[in-house]
Amino acid sequence: MRRSELGAALALGGVLIGVALAVVLLEGSAGPSSADPGLPPSPRSALAPRNVPLGRDPLAFWAPVRESVSARVSPTQPQAAGEVPRRTPEGTTNIVLVLGHAKRVEGRLWVEVRFPAVPDDARGWVPRSVLGGYTPVRTRLVVDREGLTATLARGRRPVFRTRVGVGTESTPTPGGHFYVRNQLRRYRSPFYGPIAFGTSARSRGLSDWPAGGFVGIHGTDRPDLIPGRVSHGCIRMTNADIIRLARLMPIGTLLTVR
Amino acid sequence: MEPELTLEAVDRDGAIAEALDELTGGTRADFLRKAVIGGAATGAALATPALAKGRNTAKDIAILRFDLNLEYLQAAMYSEAERLRQLKPRTLEWARVVGANERGHVRAIRGLLGRDAVKSPKFNFRGVTEDDSVFTETAVAFEDLTAALLKTQAAQVDSRGVLAALVSLHSVEARHAAWIRHIAGIVPAADAFDEPTSKARVVRLVDSTNFVTSRPRTKGRRRPRYTG
Repeated sequence: MRRSELGAALALGGVLIGVALAVVLLEGSAGPSSADPGLPPSPRSALAPRNVPLGRDPLAFWAPVRESVSARVSPTQPQAAGEVPRRTPEGTTNIVLVLGHAKRVEGRLWVEVRFPAVPDDARGWVPRSVLGGYTPVRTRLVVDREGLTATLARGRRPVFRTRVGVGTESTPTPGGHFYVRNQLRRYRSPFYGPIAFGTSARSRGLSDWPAGGFVGIHGTDRPDLIPGRVSHGCIRMTNADIIRLARLMPIGTLLTVR
Repeated sequence: MEPELTLEAVDRDGAIAEALDELTGGTRADFLRKAVIGGAATGAALATPALAKGRNTAKDIAILRFDLNLEYLQAAMYSEAERLRQLKPRTLEWARVVGANERGHVRAIRGLLGRDAVKSPKFNFRGVTEDDSVFTETAVAFEDLTAALLKTQAAQVDSRGVLAALVSLHSVEARHAAWIRHIAGIVPAADAFDEPTSKARVVRLVDSTNFVTSRPRTKGRRRPRYTG
């Protein structure tokens, strides 16, 4: 057989094999499906989850204090920055603001916190193990001692505003950055109105005041004195306003007095 | 006459009975056990009307409530890690992406459960969200376990719709597990087959973390002693 004849025979053989394969494949694919009764339709999922973005960053975090502790100036230095008790003078769980810095030193995790002190909140480091779970803070109450107003904002949006009473010239409401740490109600004292919030702020002139001279935000039995400079440092508002504020202001709210 | 609703009928996989045994044995009641029992109780209360209306069956409600609590825990942990930003960039990126998935799971399961949904418990992550290596280890454990649990539950649900939902959650959780394993330096797919796991094992793991905590008492009734 000549070379050209051999090539033609191989080409013809290749074409025949290709046609045979195509026939087999077509039959193979068509055969079972025509005989199959068919699969049931896939069930529709009862859920349609979509990603949920985290949203805006909170202003801060607060955490309850599970054990009384001496805060350190740094995790590696035993020098005390202040005492952080487990309870407030009102018997509620004490809370601190968590500043978002953590360091592991000799196997122990330490976190930086803000806690009540005189004249302003102090900063210090405490073992993470003495704190409870973190709660994001999204609200800030700004008290304007000049304008005698209090404005609560959620994020950047004001959600509450009212006129207030603040400290007299001899017992001024301290200025600075603080936070709300508890809420009292159902007590018997018309002087404080129906609801009183405790803050981390302390009066500078009343350090010998019972329970440490902490500044509160509360109602009053003398609404005729509001607005004015009438208190021992506390922030007073009408009873209707404190009830409205209590619906909007959670524990941990940042307090700025300017 | 309608068939009597018994614990055995609701709890064919034994999870509720197991939870009850643990409770009556005096062990600490954690939120997952409460979820199982709560689901069963709600299921019993709604049982026949819910079934008749073609809503979720009692068993499916119990399973979904159990999963919802697990999703709450994961979503809260990853969200907190993302907000605190104390992790390494690679782990933080994982927390950001997976956190968005888990929050989506929470929203979807809550929507499916409607009034049967439970509220999120309060968590204390005890520094896990602030320490990269501990976070990674914990996330590997949770994601592996969740994928294994969903596999178990897929064989237990009554509704085909819930089954399809669990399968769709399962593949996503398996991806989370593979990704965090890679970050942790663990082989993402070491074995040819995965073993399913039991609710009891999940309960034990969550219990061992002590992440579920009580709400702090920040409200009181004592007479104020503020400066006035």
